[in-house]
Amino acid sequence: MTRMLDGRVVLVTGAAAGVGRGVAVAMGRAGAVVGIGVRRPEAATEVADEVREAGGVPVVLRCDVTDGAQSAAAIDQLVAQHGRLDALVHNAVSNRSSEPTDLETAELDLWEEHASVTVRATWRLAVQAHAHLRAAQGAYLLMTSPAGIEGSAPLPFYSAVKAAQRGFVRALAREWGPDHIRVNSIAPLAISPALENLRSTDPERVARIEGLVPLGRLGDPTEDIGPPSVFLCSPEARYVTGQTLVVSGGRFTSL
Amino acid sequence: MTLLVIGDSGIARAITVAMRAGDRSVATVTDTAVFEKRDTAAAALAAAIDGAAITTVVFAHLDPSGFRTAAITELTEPAWDTACERSLRHAFVALQQVHALVADGTPIVLVLPNVGAVGVAGLVPLCSAVEGIRVMAKAMARRWGARGITVNTIEVELAAFILGDLGAEGAGTAVPEVPVLGSPALAPGSAVADVVGLIDLLASPEGRAVTGAFLMADRGTVMLP
Repeated sequence: MTRMLDGRVVLVTGAAAGVGRGVAVAMGRAGAVVGIGVRRPEAATEVADEVREAGGVPVVLRCDVTDGAQSAAAIDQLVAQHGRLDALVHNAVSNRSSEPTDLETAELDLWEEHASVTVRATWRLAVQAHAHLRAAQGAYLLMTSPAGIEGSAPLPFYSAVKAAQRGFVRALAREWGPDHIRVNSIAPLAISPALENLRSTDPERVARIEGLVPLGRLGDPTEDIGPPSVFLCSPEARYVTGQTLVVSGGRFTSL
Repeated sequence: MTLLVIGDSGIARAITVAMRAGDRSVATVTDTAVFEKRDTAAAALAAAIDGAAITTVVFAHLDPSGFRTAAITELTEPAWDTACERSLRHAFVALQQVHALVADGTPIVLVLPNVGAVGVAGLVPLCSAVEGIRVMAKAMARRWGARGITVNTIEVELAAFILGDLGAEGAGTAVPEVPVLGSPALAPGSAVADVVGLIDLLASPEGRAVTGAFLMADRGTVMLP
């Protein structure tokens, strides 16, 4: 798995923390130039250091994915500096994505927050990256969620937008197949900053969650979610497209 | 006792006709622009129901702009919105307001085209919307089960969704060709009769334990793993 992305250029959105950060570090470990897409570049110093220490070349990019001009500029800057874009990983989610939603009273404003990051930006980033990915015969990888497959009672909006990404992946894989661009998604179960906080405030609840995972723990963003992400962005996965890989320690076996 | 049908798709119209032909009382909401806002949605639904007791709710709506085949790189942001996100928004608003209106135990059935689980080139916005709505329905099924409300999804062939039982020439609506979905295993029949039968099953006491389910009524065209 090491150096699988030598000489390749990858952009990861939402890379400041959590799964995005772990995926960015794993991409660096695999030898990639890693565009670290973040809303606040000053918050990306640590992850840039981690990518560098792992063996990659970090490029911190201001990239609020709800701002089309900003995401286009981020892609352009990365390509201008490094000549190509081999893979785009859209991982960013709304800051309110893990906030339980009272569906019966929820306002459209909240829906818009979810949709703008997860549905609209999924489309817009694809359009903005298309020519570069076609030139590189590259890959577009979306971070979806098991909630987008099973449907989550407390997270109905998150479930819906993550499911929309799966429909997007299947259809776009067919549309972009002739361009030799692969389109896939990963549905991870991993430690997030919110879960880390919960571990200190309600360790029993985290233990209950972990008890449902056959492998007995929540995934590590770098060590568990990173490698399959690297694989799907690499030439080793050249015949894999239109798929969702569930990386959940066996928690979700019926999807 | 009234069945409520929401949507202006061909299948919604055809379900309404079929149910009325069977002497059922059917209330309809076909002006889906009301679902842009929660208050207009609530008012339209209340006016359609007019105080009647609702036995079953059928939601069969997608914005028709999603049926136009186009590469995603050709879409403007407003075009993406109407072809994909508007349908998701409307489903959320409509079903949220339905939940506020109906009694405990009311079955809700969504009818959608069978494209999302397979994916179709040129119909990326539509496939995204269908999958989003399908899983939104599962989340609703989990939430509303405590009230005995069931939420299930039936998927039909794309042409049946757009046209109902009409031929393409009769509806004046273009239906994208989707050979990637394959051919139906069963002989041609009435998609409307098929879906009405499933709605009746899901709304009957025999269907009371079924919720969050995803039933293909496409004559064996898409057979999921």
